[in-house]
Formats: sequence, C-alpha cells, structure tokens
Amino acid sequence: MPVMTPGGFAYPGTSLAFKTGGWRTQRPVHRLRAAPCHVGCPAGENVRDYLARTADGDLQSAWEALVAANPLPAITGRVCDHPCESACNRGHYDAAVAIHNVERFLGDEAIRSGWAYPLPPVKTDAPAVAVVGAGPAGLSCAYHLRRLGLNATLIDRLPAAGGTLRTALPGYRLPRSVLEDEIARLLTTGIRFLPHTALGREVSLAELQRDHAAVFLGPGRPRPRPWDVDGRTPRDLHPALVLLQDWVALGTVPEIRSAVIVGGGNSAVDMARVLVRTGATVHLVTHEALPAAGIPHETAMKAALRDIRQAVEEGVILHVEHGVHRLILRGEKVVGVELVRMKKLARADGHYETVPFEGTETVLEVDQVIPAVGQEVDTLGLEALLPTGGLLPVDGFGNLPGHPALFAGGDARLDARGTVSGAVGDGYRAALAIHAQVTGTTQELQGEPAPIPVGDLTLNYFEPVPRTEEALLPPEKRTGAAEIATGLSAVEVAAEAKRCFSCGECMACDNCWTYCPDLAVLKTREPAADGSHYLFNYDYCKGCGLCAHECPVGYIAMEAESS
Amino acid sequence: MNTLHDLRASQPRFQGLESGHRACQGCGQALAARLTLEAAGPNVALANATGCLEVFTTTWPDSAWRVPWLHSVFANAAAVAAGMEAALKMQGKDIKVLALAGDGGTFDIGFQALSGMLERGHNVLFVCYDNEAYMNTGVQRSSSTPHAAATTTSPAGIARMGKRHLKKDILSIIAAHHIPYAATASVAYAADLRKKVRRALQVDGPSFLQIHSPCPLGWGHGSELSVEVARLAVQTGLFPLIELELGALVGAMPIREIHPVTDYLKLQGRFKHLFADDARAREELAHLQALADHNIEVYGLQGKAPDTLDSEGADSVRRGGLRSA
Repeated sequence: MPVMTPGGFAYPGTSLAFKTGGWRTQRPVHRLRAAPCHVGCPAGENVRDYLARTADGDLQSAWEALVAANPLPAITGRVCDHPCESACNRGHYDAAVAIHNVERFLGDEAIRSGWAYPLPPVKTDAPAVAVVGAGPAGLSCAYHLRRLGLNATLIDRLPAAGGTLRTALPGYRLPRSVLEDEIARLLTTGIRFLPHTALGREVSLAELQRDHAAVFLGPGRPRPRPWDVDGRTPRDLHPALVLLQDWVALGTVPEIRSAVIVGGGNSAVDMARVLVRTGATVHLVTHEALPAAGIPHETAMKAALRDIRQAVEEGVILHVEHGVHRLILRGEKVVGVELVRMKKLARADGHYETVPFEGTETVLEVDQVIPAVGQEVDTLGLEALLPTGGLLPVDGFGNLPGHPALFAGGDARLDARGTVSGAVGDGYRAALAIHAQVTGTTQELQGEPAPIPVGDLTLNYFEPVPRTEEALLPPEKRTGAAEIATGLSAVEVAAEAKRCFSCGECMACDNCWTYCPDLAVLKTREPAADGSHYLFNYDYCKGCGLCAHECPVGYIAMEAESS
Repeated sequence: MNTLHDLRASQPRFQGLESGHRACQGCGQALAARLTLEAAGPNVALANATGCLEVFTTTWPDSAWRVPWLHSVFANAAAVAAGMEAALKMQGKDIKVLALAGDGGTFDIGFQALSGMLERGHNVLFVCYDNEAYMNTGVQRSSSTPHAAATTTSPAGIARMGKRHLKKDILSIIAAHHIPYAATASVAYAADLRKKVRRALQVDGPSFLQIHSPCPLGWGHGSELSVEVARLAVQTGLFPLIELELGALVGAMPIREIHPVTDYLKLQGRFKHLFADDARAREELAHLQALADHNIEVYGLQGKAPDTLDSEGADSVRRGGLRSA
C-alpha cells in the first residue's frame, strides 16, 4: 500500500468520482476573435501575433510573423499612416500601442541582422507569374507568389525597383538606405527582376499573358493629373510630382521665392516641405479639411495628420477648406492667386461637391503655383483594358472581371487606398487568388471578421501604461533628407509590445485557472491544440461562466449545451 | 489514464480542494477555500464547522479535500482546532491547523469558541468565509448580513427595507483580542488573499482571516458575476481590505477609483428593493453610501496615487501568468 503524505495524490475516495459537469446548461469554449489592429491593417498584418512574440523577446520570430503578410516592414513602419493604431482598443483605455514603432524596429533589426525571409526553396518547374510594376503592390505580390511556391517575374520600366517609394518619397520620411536595403533583400529571395522593361515598350501584355500562368498589374499612377483654373495655366507650370521626383533623385528644385501648392495629399504636403527646406515661403491650399474624428474620409486631406503637423512645424502655411479661384497673371507668369473659402458638402445623393463661398475671396502674392491634384495611370501597354484611361476595376482579390488570369492592385485599381500598406495588401490578396487559380484550388472571398470591441474585454485586469512617443528631429534641424522620426530603442519597443491587450487571443494570464471555483480549468505545460495554455475539464465544469466573464482578453465564450 | 487526469495530477499549484465538490455554480466560498488551500499548502490539517463548505465538500462516500479534515459541529470549529493544535504540538509535529467556518459559525454560533481560542493563544488560523447569511439552510439573516439586505428572515416589504440592523464589525472584536495577525480578503483579489494566508501562517499564535465570498444564490446575482460583485464591494468601500497586527491597523488596500455603492448593490437581488421608487429606499441607499464613506474615512482607503497594490493594480494580469503576491 503506498504511503500517503498530506496532500498526496490519490484517486479513490476523492470527489473526483462525482462528475459535476452534468449540471451544466452552458459550457465555456475558447474562441479566437479578430483583433481590431489586424482587421484595420490594409496589408493584413497579424499585429497581435508579432507584438506577443516581441513581448516574449523572440524578435526574429516576431519579424517572421510580420513578413508573413508584409515584406516591407522597415518601409511601412515609417511611411504608413497606421490605421492599426486608430483601431487599437487600447486607445479607448489610455493610448494606442505604438505599433508602427514595433514594425519599424523589427524591419530594421532584420536588415541589421540579415534574417532570411522564411520562404520555400525555389522550384524551377513551378508555374510562372508575371508582375508588372515593382512598386509596393508588385513587390508584395511577387514576394507572396514566391512564398506560396510559385515563380514570379517582376518587370519595371525604371532602372530600379521601388516605384513611388523610390521616385517621390522624400528621405526625411523614408531614408534612402532603408529603401535600398529592404528592397535589395526582397529581390534576392528568388524573384526574377527585369528593370528597364516597360509594358507596351519592351514587352506587350499579350506576350506576358502568353508566357505566364497569370499576370498581376501594379503600374501605379506615375502621371500628374492635368490642372488649370478656368482653362488657364501659367506657362512655367511644374506639377508637384515632377519637382518632387527631381528633388528626391537629384536633391535640387528650381529657385522659388514663394509658392502656392494646390492639393491635400502626400505629394502636396511633401512638395510644400521640400520647398520650405529651400527657404521659400510656401502656402498649401486644399479644399479638404484636416483629418480628424468626425470628419468624413471624403472631405479630409489624404495626407497623414502626422505629416501635416510636421509640415506646419516646419513653416508651411496651411489654408484648409480653401481653393484657387483665379490666377493673377502678368502675361503668362503668375504674380498671385485669388483664394476663396470652399467646403466639400454632401449632396442629397450622398456625393460630395466642392462649393465656393462668394464674398470670401483673398489674394496671395506668389511667384509659383504648383498643382498636386492627383495622379493618373499611364495607359501605355494597357490600351486593351483602359481604352479611355481611368482605373482598373477589380474584385476583392484583385481579379479583373472577364479576365480570369489577369489581376491588378495598388494605386492603379479603382477605389485604391492610395497608401503603401494598401498596395502591399493588394499584392498579398492577389497572390492568394493567383495561387488558388494556378493550383486549381478555390479561394473563397471571406468577409472581414468583426473585430472584438473594447467592451468585450475585462479592463480591470490591465493597468495604464503611458505610450512611448518616439523623439522627432526638432524643426530647426530638419534640413535636406535627414530623417525626422527617430524610432524607439529595443527596450522601449519591448515595453510597447507588452502594452498590447491581446484582444481576442489568450495571453496565458492564468485568470481562468485562478478563478474557477471547481478546478475545471487545467493549465498545460506546452500550448494546447488551440494555442492557449488551458483545457476545460468538462467532467467537472458546472458552467458558471466566471472564467468567461473575467477573461481579460475576451477569449472565452459561453455556449448553450445541446443536451 | 486519460490525459486530463494526468494533467490534473501535475498542476503547478497545490490543490487542497479537489473537483467534484457539490458547491453551486460560481460559488464564492468554494473559490475562497480553493485559494486558501493553494497558499496554505499540503502541511495543514483542517477543522470545518457545519455549513455549506462542510456539506458540499464531503458528500458520503467522497471527500474533496486532499488534506486531513475534521468536521466539527456548528459552534465549535475553533475549539476543535485548538485541540488539534495542542495534540499536534504534543506529538512534536509541525503541522498548521486551520479552522474553517462561514459567517454563521464565526459571527454568531461559533463566536464564543472563537473568542476562547484566540484568548488562549493557540497557533491556529481561523478562516471565515463571509457570505453574509445562513446560506446552507436557505438564506436566513446572520449578524454578518449587511444593513438593508433582504433574506428570508429579513424580507423587504411594507414593514421594512431588508435587514434593520448593521453588519457586525467582527474584525474590531477580533482586534480587541490583540492577536498577532488579522485581516480581511476578497475572492476578487486572489493574489492579495493568498499573500494574507501566507502571512497568517507565518505568525506564531492565533490569526484570523475574513474572506468576502459572494453567494450567487443567496445574493441574487448571476453565477458569472461572483468575482465582479466581490471586486465592487472593495471598490465601493463597503468591504475594506485591511490588515491588523496586535489589534492595530497596519495596512489597507487603497481604492484608486471609488465607485458609488449603487454599482455594487444593483447587481444583486437582495438589494433590488432599494431601487424602487420609494422614499425609504432612497434613504437606505444614502445610508449604505454613508457606511461606505465612513469605511473610506476611518481606514483611509482613498488612494493618493496609482499604486501596483491598490484596488486597480492588485489584480492586474500579465502575459504568461503565474502571478504571485
């Protein structure tokens, strides 16, 4: 007979023989729910996952989880307007997690440490897909095709990959070295890259379609949209995109004393900031409002609020909800503009219309007017698809209706987000659809799962922790292409990652295990099949619901017993 | 043997109270007893007064206890524990004795035996699972039932708004015995509860722990709300978490955000009558708020700055778990 010590473990005679689980009318179940950051990320990043790995100190696996969706984290960590942070449930509690800083840090660490992208070996006999345009959409699509085991040939009309990131993004937002390093690493993963190869010039769409199982089009919008005021334009008109491209490539712009820049997007704001750096007096005129809570997306400036704020700090004079009413010309040269207050107003049919208000005219004396009123697709090589210009209409996976093997994404598609992360996401989804089509599997278009609302968390169990804000270069030191945002240190990044509420996913906090009055929650040494660290022992669970009610992250749901 | 069975036998905590006990769903007392035993560890022996805890843990022929356990009558858990302690001392065994009782077996029926045990200085931890009425026999009022709570023997109706009298201030009476350690705890603050059990067992001499243990059936709230109700009792100031040494106040858990008592009361059926459109109800609500305000004042419960051990910080969780006090 075994010797029993106090507290020794014996089965006979204990109440374990009595299965209280039979009392239950409802049972707790683990239910993984979508996090708002994940749903909110246009690139489809599983933010909660890589924050958890970062909090655990496993930076490489965090980066691998990140690049499972977005191969360009060092870039997007800098230039994305991070809708993930706007969606973050922590924003309802103290302040959103600084996700973009974690993303940027992981991207930089990968470059510094030379971590290899987690990709399968190249199979020469795998089906080949052509990707047109090496901007963020094309790079993302080619990478994800490689990740899914297909071969990708990426072509671009320019001598190097990067698209708008390379041609028009100033170094103070995205240092050139980061761009070069991240793209160079991406292009050595087995993607076949053909520079100096323009669609409609070196190769036709028909040829690409003939030689490849599918074609992805990510041509972007490289051409400035024409602009005039009542049919008149100054003779020395320079669109912002052209000046910006010159400055990014050569570091110079024409000497301008004072200018009005027309537009509310990133090109307008960057153009203004570049001219301010040369000592010019710069006015930014847009009929849109500052982005803010309660301002409809349609009527807000398209540039990120962060960048607009920095532009104002640097000396850009902002005229929101204004428009250029008239050009004051001496001969064909601008000497001033007449501004008028304008507003984008919703009409009865829901469309927005810009309305000028009579009697609010003012005059600005300037020697240049620089339009930044949007860009267009270059239809060279796409004449068959866009005979009259415009944008490429696609479904949720980037497929062009009526062309089963033709896909598109990025700025050239209809209803594009117009952001780098949006383009990366387009490339990702199109790659999934192409893979499904080429391999003969079906790619179900899944609706976005509803993210878990903050009300489904139990916030008692969290403590306020201030968000770490990255230091910004002071405005007087912002010269040339010096990067403005300085990022966070490894220690600060770890602290930010630990601020994550882990909305909707178990973080092994032990609460269910601690509060079960019936010891019906058992803790596992290794993660259980569902990834949590706990199992419900339904032999004894009485279905009281305490664990679900007290779960900090909303991972436990009560389901009615079928009985 | 199946895997769940193996897993149960290798949990990284001491399970002095085992599954299969017959407590109601969401029982605060079962949770409190489980947490107490987790902290007390295997080297203990229990004397258990008659009451819910005794009944639901030891339905013949099974026992939910994994430690030596003795059932006393309602009145004499403290006396039995005193005898056990003396006998173990005679045998030279270093085994801690715990007396377990509900509020009936502590405040009322078991009171003189408790007072005697404390007075004689036995090395016993007396744990009172305070669910504020005689729940085992069908929710009759005890001297621990709070003012204005409805029970079957203090019903709310035309004559009065629930219990006419006040909740007995048992801890002040315990304090008058000048024992080495006495404290209150709550099932909503598990780490704090376990810490107090360990402290109580470290002292040489009698110690006393009163644990606020919601009873879904008797209090009239959903079984899933037991912890939330207990937490609000602390956060409103109605159940202060305090520690006494030799009768003197040595610690109180500060409240970071003081909730109005209605936050606590409105969750419970036993206070439902206080939310009727009735002048007497409004007066009783004001009275209960005044009692909470009084507690906050005399124990200095208002937190001055956020603290990791205040009413918001003491229950914070972290990734990876295994929080300890």
